[in-house]
Amino acid sequence: MKVGQTTLEKKYHDAVEHWRRHWMPDYDSLLSGWERYFPKDEPFCLCAKLELGTSELVKIGDHTGEKKRLRPDELTEEEAKHLLAIIRAQASTEFGSIQQHAGTLHRAADDEDRFWVLRVMAEELRHGYQMFHLLLSQDWTHVSGGVKGEEMVEEILSMQTGSHVLDAFNLEYDSFIDNICFAAIIDRVGKYQLTMQKVCAYKPMADSMPPMLREEAFHLAAGVIPLRRWAQRAAQGDPLVTMHVIQKSMNKWLPRGLEMFGDERGGDTNVKFGFKDMKNRDAQDLYIEEIRRMVRDINARYLRARFPAYGPEKVEQVLDDLERSRGRHDGVGFEDLIHMSDRRFFRRKGEPAWTMVGVDGEEYKDVDAYVTHLSKHLPEAYLTTRDMRMYVETLRKVVAGELSVKDAIMKMPRLKRVGGACPCSRAVRWVIEEPAAKSS
Amino acid sequence: MPELKAQARIRPLDELDIGGIVKIDERITGIYRPDVWERRVAYYLRRDPDASQVAEVEGRVVGFLLGDLRAGEFGIEEPSGWIERFGIDPDFRGRDLGKHMFEAICAHFRSQGATTVRTLVDRRDPAIAGFLKALGFNPSVLEALEMRLPPGS
Repeated sequence: MKVGQTTLEKKYHDAVEHWRRHWMPDYDSLLSGWERYFPKDEPFCLCAKLELGTSELVKIGDHTGEKKRLRPDELTEEEAKHLLAIIRAQASTEFGSIQQHAGTLHRAADDEDRFWVLRVMAEELRHGYQMFHLLLSQDWTHVSGGVKGEEMVEEILSMQTGSHVLDAFNLEYDSFIDNICFAAIIDRVGKYQLTMQKVCAYKPMADSMPPMLREEAFHLAAGVIPLRRWAQRAAQGDPLVTMHVIQKSMNKWLPRGLEMFGDERGGDTNVKFGFKDMKNRDAQDLYIEEIRRMVRDINARYLRARFPAYGPEKVEQVLDDLERSRGRHDGVGFEDLIHMSDRRFFRRKGEPAWTMVGVDGEEYKDVDAYVTHLSKHLPEAYLTTRDMRMYVETLRKVVAGELSVKDAIMKMPRLKRVGGACPCSRAVRWVIEEPAAKSS
Repeated sequence: MPELKAQARIRPLDELDIGGIVKIDERITGIYRPDVWERRVAYYLRRDPDASQVAEVEGRVVGFLLGDLRAGEFGIEEPSGWIERFGIDPDFRGRDLGKHMFEAICAHFRSQGATTVRTLVDRRDPAIAGFLKALGFNPSVLEALEMRLPPGS
């Protein structure tokens, strides 16, 4: 496969560069350190990349076998609106993750870890740029309510942590462990979304996916490999790195990752329109299995470091025994390993939204007991955040019957831009979306 | 004994294969070296993630073949596929897994415009040399040379 490259019109390219100067002040050090950390790798290019020679035909949905669409006006109005929402959401996540990474990047204890995350940030910037290319290279105004490409770009560049489309991108990082867990857990959802969109009936979208996916492969490694190394250090008694810290960060991110697939009962429209090749629950199931593999891999690394004399088969056996018995093995308890929380744990969107389910799938009836449970299983620094306060306040109202689940989903806080000419304007304030009057 | 009838799946390498590769390497060499494979896998995933392949049987990684597409090496300007490391779990040898992974990586190299695939082999290891010969490798006009560096003053 060959890849074509293109850049945005200068004013848009400059706007992205301007944004980058605010949110990636270390960008120049990435470029100057590139050869040291990524010798012989292709230099970073802030450009849109499109795979050439891909299938011309729609592979799934109502239009299977027809020619892929090349312009938004070749889609039905409903399809174009739906796809536009996907592209805007995708763009928001790319820029959003950079803002999140930026908050704690400097706290990395290891220079290599920091450079890996910096590269991830630069490539997310390119992915956002890619989505801008899709928004700006064609006219979407017939389905955007008259909003022009220029305004869409400005809106996305003005978003901050709190105002992004998806909840996972509205949480601040508490420490560098979040940079790593985010890459391992949230970027993995990204991999699924991009993979599903490789079939997209809108060809420019489909052709955008393979180059993004190739970059995403390293993003996952930039999460999993440091986690493996930290598990080793934890096993060797390093008091600065513990499995509990990793566990709590995973508990924070996994629920948001699961919600990124969309409601478990949905996804039919994406398949019907030929935009994705899997429904939400099907993709989420595969993702959960992959997270399970990752957790087992990290635990195996931990046990091997704890018991250097054990061979790989013995480690697997001990891991099986601990998972089955939930007991102990030569000083290591089941609770010393990391675990994947129940898929219904701490959810605020989707099928189990606003239910009170614990990390092991246990159900709670009392809000205070559930909040106490959360406080034991989430990172300490996260507990004192506005996000948690709003979550608990909303949960209380849902449990008391004062708020429907649907309205509760809408009620989580968002930052709304209120003005400012600079595309990276910080002129935002907290607002809460009003629940729809007719919602049940 | 492993179930010989179990179907093997050849697929591109991912970051969750590190543990499986470490195990295979340990079974072959007797050395546990996760750090080495973490570095190597990160290298291939960031450079050319569709190239390197693993063989999976019943969800377990039983073989790997790592390589990438490079141009400009040793004055060879046209892009060539380079095979660097491979290994098959001893319990799963004799099932053509190496050949299938090799075919997959070559398909990728071809799709990227390569017309040649290259590697280096230790002549003292006849098993590896024989395996590569069976795949179709022939001696190259390029010869690997080396010299010991005298200690610095």
